Amino acid sequence: MHWDVVWNNFDYFLWGAYPKGPLGGLAMSILMALGGIFGAFWLGLLIGVCRLSKRVWLRAPAMVYIEIIRGTPLLMVIFWFYFLAPVIMGKSLPDWQSAIIALIVFTSAYIAEIVRAGVLSLPKGQMEAARGSGLSHAQTMIHIILPQALFNMIPSFVNQFVSLTKDTSLAYIIGVSELTKTATQVNSRTMKAPFEIFITVAALYFVVCFVLTELSRRLETKINRYQARGR
Amino acid sequence: MKRLATALTAILVLAFLVSPAFAGKIEDIKKRGTLIAGVKDSQPPFGYVDEKTNQIVGFEIDIMKFLADKLGVKLDVKAVTSSTRIPMLTQGEVDIVAATMTHKKDREGQIDFSITYFMTGQRLLVKKGGPIKSVKDLASKKIGSVKGSTSEQNAKKAEPTATIVSFETYPEAFLALKQGKVEAVTTDEAILVGLKFSDEKPEAWDIVGDYISPEPYGFGLVENDSKLRDFVNVSLMEMWESGEYKKVYDKWFGKDTKNYIPLTWTMELWP
Repeated sequence: MHWDVVWNNFDYFLWGAYPKGPLGGLAMSILMALGGIFGAFWLGLLIGVCRLSKRVWLRAPAMVYIEIIRGTPLLMVIFWFYFLAPVIMGKSLPDWQSAIIALIVFTSAYIAEIVRAGVLSLPKGQMEAARGSGLSHAQTMIHIILPQALFNMIPSFVNQFVSLTKDTSLAYIIGVSELTKTATQVNSRTMKAPFEIFITVAALYFVVCFVLTELSRRLETKINRYQARGR
Repeated sequence: MKRLATALTAILVLAFLVSPAFAGKIEDIKKRGTLIAGVKDSQPPFGYVDEKTNQIVGFEIDIMKFLADKLGVKLDVKAVTSSTRIPMLTQGEVDIVAATMTHKKDREGQIDFSITYFMTGQRLLVKKGGPIKSVKDLASKKIGSVKGSTSEQNAKKAEPTATIVSFETYPEAFLALKQGKVEAVTTDEAILVGLKFSDEKPEAWDIVGDYISPEPYGFGLVENDSKLRDFVNVSLMEMWESGEYKKVYDKWFGKDTKNYIPLTWTMELWP
């Protein structure tokens, strides 16, 4: 066994060539995951609400977006966006930013469907009662429906966010120096410890995802307690 | 609402119509102050991540440094793979591709090439003392190579009954060979030597067979930019004539290195 290879390159796995070079490794993976989660949540929420709208010009584009993205492999979205971005924006984006946007675009379609399912799962009476008491549709959504629905959606969100975190590994295709890429680089140089290197990488991904699920579990209990007090 | 839709359509159409205004690359590079080179980051000794500094180093990076110094700009390297290097060049993500790329007629349709800066040929890496001595012995066996490479296509041509298993990088293909998933790894000899000597026991592996095909490496450049191409070609010849090329070559492929390949070819030198 050659655990010394892992030990000698552990800093490279954690933050790449930083501070003497660009940030990379696990730090880059986490950065991409956080950016992706933040963006995908808000964009997905917006698209999900549009998807539920009675107005065709809101509903139809949302539906097309969701269906197209869900029918495309993430690897394709990442690759395709990387080469499309300079055409749209007139200048090229750094590879990691392009990867984050691709992750947001991809995951938001799934978030939108979770939002839709969450809202539909609430009893119809909620909407009717709120509208009956004089609130507008938008007000009802923001103040009555979404707060309840979003809470119910937490487990599905966490699922999606954990899978997004692991999906950041696909950004290596466009050369982002994230955790998987750094592992490949070290593996190609040393050649003698593929097992040790990739088991370390798997463990690092596990730790990050475990922390994410654990945090969400705490958040859930906290909200539970808060809601119980309100009743 | 209609107006918004019209505006959005207009923006989209514009975005597709407006392509970057074409100026000579050399002016772009000088204005920017950096030469952006697409290089390999998993291909010792051509381009790989250095153990101590965690920076990308290698034979090709040193030649790129020579070019950047001559232009008076800084060198910025970007990692590419065999499947991303051509799209990245044509999209303008990189100014020049120095990534173990064989100068092929097929590729001339998409990009231009510099003169040959490294000459090698495709052979086979196999287990020493095994049954495979040439490409004919690989009939209906599995050969490992890399996606989008010339070796992949050449191997298929040389032995049609063999199955080609394509990997993302050569070290992965070598790993498959070690684990018995493929019978041989085929690519340019220079890369095979690098693979062989990266192993703990280089003597367990052998490079066999005649050249399946000659593989002249050229730097990839965007189509129809003759100023940049002239600059690169003339610089390469200068490098060869001044002995700077030999110095860089010996640093990575010389007798004292673990990738020893004698320098047996001569660069095309224009009078």
